[in-house]
Amino acid sequence: MSASDITLAAAVAAMIAGAAGTALTRDVTRLVVSLGAFLLSVAAIFLIVASSLLAIAQVFVYVGGVLVLVLFALMVVHRDTDERVGLDSLHDIGAAAVAVAVFAGLVALLLPLAGTTGSQTRALPNDIGAFLLGDGVVAFEIAGVLLLVALLAVLVVVKGGEDR
Amino acid sequence: MNTAVLVTFGLSIVGAIAIALAGARAVRFSRWIALAAPAAAAWSGLSYLLGAGPGGTGGAPYIGEAVVVSVRWLSRADAGIGVGLAVDSLAAAMLIVVGVVAAMVVLFSFGYMAEDRAQARYFSLLSLFTGAMAALVTSSSLVGLFIAWEIVGACSYLLIGFWYTRKSAANAAMKAFLVTRLGDVGLLAGLAVLYHETHTLDLASVMAAVPDLAGPTVALVALLLFAGAAGKSAQFPLHVWLPDAMEGPTPVSALIHAATMVAAGVFLVARTWPIFEAAEGTRLLILAIGVITAAGASVSALLQTDIKKVLAYSTISQLGFMFAALGAGAWVAAVFHLVTHAAFKSLLFLAAGSVIHGSGTQDLREMGGLRRAMPVTSATWIVGAAALAGLPPLSGFFSKDAILEAVWHATPLAGAALFAAGAVTTCYITRATRLAFCGTFRGSARPHESGATMWLPLVVLALGAASLGAASGEFARAFGGHGGLSLPVAAASIALAVAGGLVGWRLGETGARRAQSGVAAFVAGGWGVDAAVVRLAGASVVASAALSERVDAGIIDGAVRAVERLAQGISGELEGLQSGDGRAYSGLVAIGAVLVVGLTLWLGR
Amino acid sequence: MIVVIGCAAAFAIGLYAVLTRRELIAILAGAEVMLGAANVQLVALALARGGDPAVASGFSLLVVVVAAAEAAVGLSIVVTAYRSGARSRLEEFGEVDAE
Repeated sequence: MSASDITLAAAVAAMIAGAAGTALTRDVTRLVVSLGAFLLSVAAIFLIVASSLLAIAQVFVYVGGVLVLVLFALMVVHRDTDERVGLDSLHDIGAAAVAVAVFAGLVALLLPLAGTTGSQTRALPNDIGAFLLGDGVVAFEIAGVLLLVALLAVLVVVKGGEDR
Repeated sequence: MNTAVLVTFGLSIVGAIAIALAGARAVRFSRWIALAAPAAAAWSGLSYLLGAGPGGTGGAPYIGEAVVVSVRWLSRADAGIGVGLAVDSLAAAMLIVVGVVAAMVVLFSFGYMAEDRAQARYFSLLSLFTGAMAALVTSSSLVGLFIAWEIVGACSYLLIGFWYTRKSAANAAMKAFLVTRLGDVGLLAGLAVLYHETHTLDLASVMAAVPDLAGPTVALVALLLFAGAAGKSAQFPLHVWLPDAMEGPTPVSALIHAATMVAAGVFLVARTWPIFEAAEGTRLLILAIGVITAAGASVSALLQTDIKKVLAYSTISQLGFMFAALGAGAWVAAVFHLVTHAAFKSLLFLAAGSVIHGSGTQDLREMGGLRRAMPVTSATWIVGAAALAGLPPLSGFFSKDAILEAVWHATPLAGAALFAAGAVTTCYITRATRLAFCGTFRGSARPHESGATMWLPLVVLALGAASLGAASGEFARAFGGHGGLSLPVAAASIALAVAGGLVGWRLGETGARRAQSGVAAFVAGGWGVDAAVVRLAGASVVASAALSERVDAGIIDGAVRAVERLAQGISGELEGLQSGDGRAYSGLVAIGAVLVVGLTLWLGR
Repeated sequence: MIVVIGCAAAFAIGLYAVLTRRELIAILAGAEVMLGAANVQLVALALARGGDPAVASGFSLLVVVVAAAEAAVGLSIVVTAYRSGARSRLEEFGEVDAE
């Protein structure tokens, strides 16, 4: 087992731990911390297997953007209560069974696809840029339009809420 | 010349848009734009005729045409439809007619419509109409012709209903639109049959293919095309819309419902003449309908009290003359009469407009003595009336006698009927003239002569109506046929005209006060065609309504109720799922995902 | 290999969070976990099967962007819903369609 394999295993373990924390914790602060841990480990995995650019984008967009948004939303929703807010769940065996079934199905589906001959080449930012503005330019543009639409949608939704 | 034709369309469309956009306040300036397209149309026609020279393009239509522009449209590998513009002598003559009359009408409208608040719409539509009419006459394919035909009809609809707040005007517009549409269905069907048989709708290729077609096919096509022509040109029994169309502004009546659009039917037949030449039976029908229309409408005109209605029935009657000529095979005479009729009938309409403008009424019984108050108008009216009556040496004499001679040689019976119609023509126009211009004024307003922009067009058109007869030789040379007159026919028609005039003079004296009897009211109302249409339509509507009510209640409602019961049953079963509980929804989605994954695994093994 | 299994596990855990959480924001957090796991899975599988790393990375970059847009819209809906009646739990929304 090489050093990079160990790092990868550690990142994956951190990712699962973060996910579990997000799913199970009863404390708002811990939820945010767990989600952050999850997102950072995803970035770490990207860094190890794919590309540094992707890892950086993950950190900027998720940790810097989405996580902060979640934090803000939690603060808005719970600002009027002084005590530490609890997050409760409706744990039940059915949901757990479905989740386990999905896990088993995914592993059974995807593991045979993985193979063992992973390419060790990693994508350079230049290559990603060339792809995004070359073959993937349509998808790139559509994503841009989608972002614009999402921006407008947020404005409309929030504005509409104020009017009501 | 090519550029002139294209400029005509450009000016027409740009002008229509520009005038409409400039709005009501700028119309004092923007209305001059409406003169541009007619001027260009007249110029393009004139330059073609001058370029071709006398006798340069003799023979059947569509020989020696100049193609302006031609494009393929709806192209397919094996077939396609071309549209394009081409000018030949016929198109050039029509371009001049359209251009000159439209220009005069626009000029006249400067004065006539000065008080109207919707002038921008008015002049914009006039400009559009001119372009569409030019497209109609220069189109080199039947498709283009049909499109222009419909645009022209739409302009007519919009202008009849120009004062749309008046219920009668809105109704008249609707009636005109629907009745002409009835004919247009025939025209469209005719085009479909032609395309099916010849695989083209280019005029030149269609005409070249006509000799190869089977006799019944040609007769059917000719019949269908004639249906379209009869609708547009207000031939019996589709004539009912034209008298009502007088609800529009009078200059519009002059341009659209006297000189140009209603003549489009005659033009269509002349344009597709080889088809009609080959269809003898259809021509006989055209002759019969033309004569019936000419005679019936002239009698109706005799009994009208509204000056515009007199002219409307007169127009129907004159169009009947043209169709009679077409039926008799003399299409050159018909087209020549079209040209002269455009001149003197638009003159009469504009003069009537001037009279209405000056005396404040359009009821003949309230006029009288306008000769002294409106000298220019009455002088030009009399020129137009004499031309209509066919008195030498005015234009109507030459063209009408050419028709009479042709019809007389084809069928003496029809010829005799047309001679009688000619006499009645003189009779009604003399009566109207005497009622309006002689004696003393019976109305309440103070009649006055109209302004220069109104009498100038009258003078120009009067010169045309008076002198166009001189062109009969040129005309005959350009299109084939002979331009001479047969002395017996001319003598007979003059004698009948004078006799009719004398009777009309007497009627003009007494007709002012006479109450109309039942028969007279029947004739004045257009021979009861309207009532028959209403009765027939009413009966058929009631019958079909009863039928559809039964179908509706039995079959359709039954099916709807069955579907409703089915849907209710299904939804009753499923409504438990729609709980509004988001957790249940997401759980179902997840279970669905599990199922899909499991299925994939199972099948993919 | 380990990445594939780990991602499947994280995905299932995120799904469990979505199914059992009551707070809307926590549900959205679960959805983010699912998205992130799927994204890593995409890249990892593409590389394991010898795909072009640039294409794989480019696509998952687009996924990140779209996910961010989705998160923004979702959170704005949550905040609006809360403002319009102090509702922040999923089961309180069952009656929305009855209004």
